[in-house]
Amino acid sequence: MKQKLFFVLVVTALVLTACGGGVATQAPVETEAPVATEAPATEAPATEPPAAEAKVATFIWTQEFDSLSPLYQGMWFSEITQQFWLCWAWQFNEKNEAFPYLLTELPSVENGGISEDGTQITMHLRDDIKWSDNEPLTSEDFKFTWEMFTDTKNTVSSAYPYDNITSIDTPDEQTVVINFEAPFSPWLANLWQGILPSHILRPVYDAEGTLDNAEWNLAPTVGCGPYVFDEWESGSFARFTTNPNYWGEPPKIDEIFVRFVPDDASQTAALVAGDADLGAFIPYSDIPQLKEAGMTLTTEPSGFNEGWFFRIDDKSHPAMHDLNVRKALAMAIDREAVNRDLLLGLTKVPASYWDSLPFYNDPPSENYPYDPEAANALLDEAGWVDSNSDGTRDKDGVELVLRYGTTTREIRQDLQAVAQQQLAEVGIGVEISNYDADLFFAGYGEGPAANGELDIMEWSDAPGFPDPDVYYWLCSEIATDENPAGSNWFFCDEELDALIQQQSTQMDANARQETISQINQMFHDNVYWVGMWQDPDVWAVGPRLTGVKFSGVTPFFNITEWDIAE
Amino acid sequence: MIRYIVNRILQGIPLLFIISIILFVLMMNMGDPIATMGGRSITRSSDRVRLTRQLGLDQPVYVQYLYWLIGNDWAKIDLDGDGIEESNGTRRGILRGDFGTSLVNRGKPVTKVIGERLPNTLLLMVASEIIIILGSLLVGIYSALRQYSILDHTITALSFIGYSMPIFFIALLSMYLFAILFKRWGLPYLPTVGMFDPQVGKTTAQVLWHMVLPVFSISIISFAAYSRYIRSTMLEVMSQDYIRTAKSKGLPRREVVYVHALKNASLPIVTVVGLDLPLLLGGAVVTERIFAWPGMGRLFLDHVSRLDMPVVMGILLLIAVAVIFFQIVTDIVYAWLDPRIRYD
Repeated sequence: MKQKLFFVLVVTALVLTACGGGVATQAPVETEAPVATEAPATEAPATEPPAAEAKVATFIWTQEFDSLSPLYQGMWFSEITQQFWLCWAWQFNEKNEAFPYLLTELPSVENGGISEDGTQITMHLRDDIKWSDNEPLTSEDFKFTWEMFTDTKNTVSSAYPYDNITSIDTPDEQTVVINFEAPFSPWLANLWQGILPSHILRPVYDAEGTLDNAEWNLAPTVGCGPYVFDEWESGSFARFTTNPNYWGEPPKIDEIFVRFVPDDASQTAALVAGDADLGAFIPYSDIPQLKEAGMTLTTEPSGFNEGWFFRIDDKSHPAMHDLNVRKALAMAIDREAVNRDLLLGLTKVPASYWDSLPFYNDPPSENYPYDPEAANALLDEAGWVDSNSDGTRDKDGVELVLRYGTTTREIRQDLQAVAQQQLAEVGIGVEISNYDADLFFAGYGEGPAANGELDIMEWSDAPGFPDPDVYYWLCSEIATDENPAGSNWFFCDEELDALIQQQSTQMDANARQETISQINQMFHDNVYWVGMWQDPDVWAVGPRLTGVKFSGVTPFFNITEWDIAE
Repeated sequence: MIRYIVNRILQGIPLLFIISIILFVLMMNMGDPIATMGGRSITRSSDRVRLTRQLGLDQPVYVQYLYWLIGNDWAKIDLDGDGIEESNGTRRGILRGDFGTSLVNRGKPVTKVIGERLPNTLLLMVASEIIIILGSLLVGIYSALRQYSILDHTITALSFIGYSMPIFFIALLSMYLFAILFKRWGLPYLPTVGMFDPQVGKTTAQVLWHMVLPVFSISIISFAAYSRYIRSTMLEVMSQDYIRTAKSKGLPRREVVYVHALKNASLPIVTVVGLDLPLLLGGAVVTERIFAWPGMGRLFLDHVSRLDMPVVMGILLLIAVAVIFFQIVTDIVYAWLDPRIRYD
């Protein structure tokens, strides 16, 4: 009897525990009705199925949002989701050209929106834009956004580019005048990506002295995009439904259901099985399988290229200072074969750091060809010879063994193995190492890249796409004991430094193009960076979706035109 | 017994304290949480300086541990970087029930972050554990009672196959077979990922349906191990003198097996289960990741990869507390199963 009673109790407890969890139909805590200082309450999120006739598109994100607030997000997936429910002042089309969204027109010198000296930008807002709670979206929201990004009481992920603004004037509800201390040429690619609702968040800030703990960050019940946030269940999904007060063309799809699937193979399986309509960051090796399953694969340049960053300073191997050695490195790797064999021929070797910005990669750079013989000759000429017959070149008693590190991403480890073998064929030894991203990219004092423990560093990066701005190589950014946060882990070239500073203040596109071309040429001639493969955004689109276009900057710029085929 | 339990709990307090110090120091030396806050690019130097200061990461490790333990609302901190500590801290420390807020989901309390995931993990893991224990008991006892029979050999072979397969392989294979191929063949098929179909909604039936493949994947390996373990302990007990005596007394076979033999054979099994139970809270990292199940395993992985110290410490401490708790429970169950064991 005692055993039976015990068994019944245990089973009952387990069933109750189980039922209290995921199956519950009660609203998750984070989406409870907001407090009085927050948005007008929306209904507690329903877990009931959508109406039978509702068109629901399921998207798979391989990373879950960190935050939905532009202030606190530091993830690409969080950023691109903004096009569903939040507003950027302007967006970018499938050609990555900017077009006004909240503005009547894009500011320019010609239309008087940009002052002659480039230190003032004036924007005129549309008069019909409003938040999803029907409140008007005004210049006050823009000013509030700037204030919050630069307020030290908020632990925002990045204060850039708002920390370049000295003041904002709002002469009326539709006019925003932005003042800079110096001309700020990368404004178009960086400013006003996600406007904050002042009428919702200012009371929170006034009450708490910070927005760090605002409910809106994780449950933004008020937005201004074609959809409104409905529910975000941690680790599982986020749901966006149509905004009944949207001021633009209403969307054709009723609901966007974002499911978080962290495993690449599972994402592919879900897409093949028809359990999702859209996937991103598709592994190249899965593309044939997805195509076979009827998916459309789209690659969209987003400025990113995988490449080698060289360290050339007193912490690097002495050979890294020799231009012939760096040229030999570029010529000893068969990068075409890497793209063909490791990436299934779906990518190309980028000729330049600005490869996906043709306007600035002009005249186009040319890649150093794969030529081991020429690489050997260059190394011989530089005095690096195998004097002790150990298979590795040396000079003045120093062996030519370079330290080559990157993250643990599989394709990078594959490239390391190939590079080690091919460089060995020209007498260059390579010590390879891999780190988790949080360690690899850690700052000076902690990270191997920042500390100068690597001669060759590999990752995928981009200029301020679609802007050509770069800043890593600024001499003021060199990471040292005095400047441990510096992001220049490479070298200081004063001529390059001057050009980088110059381009960041040039408001005239043609003059800036000329400067970037000079920088591009310096990169090529001095072999400061070697591209391995283009790294565009890869999207898999299911057969149900129609009207789909992507941009490399604002991927869902035409989300209202997307539809589901019957 | 009560005195014993109180003693064990009191012993657990310094143990937890030591565990927390070790884990904290390890966490602080694993990397830089700010390194991945720049999105797809390296975190800007100005942001790195500001965030390091604002999040208190510029403090020595022992100060950070102290703040984590007892809070910093008694101290002044410098938020704006002017070198003047002008603002009061806001943390109360875990000793006052404040586990802090997540660095990744900025502003979200750790208790809420964990609380949202724990039920999902318990749902998956408890269901799996029930299936594992009940199934392996049945199979293990059957194999022991019919040693060297054809079925025993078959079960042994299947157990070794199940035990030797990595869980990611089982998970992906079962997904491919039961979700993709079954659908292609026109058979009833299972869903690939998630907890429910958005077109249908989050109903009990949907969640149960979506649990089938993850529970199957988790169960198959542990099932193989447990059934082998039960088989060997049952074989050992069944050869004991007191079992022979019980049989000689003419007790029914059912009573001999399930009352006299199983109860004593359960002692080592209880030890194994007692060690496994706290780990249920940690979730199944691989299975949750593959089936996109929003549980603790994925939470841990996602947040440890971004060095979200408050969340990771919260999870690890929860497991440490569970280990201590279940060890006490195990000791109590020992005494219940074996009257010779006394703690007084």
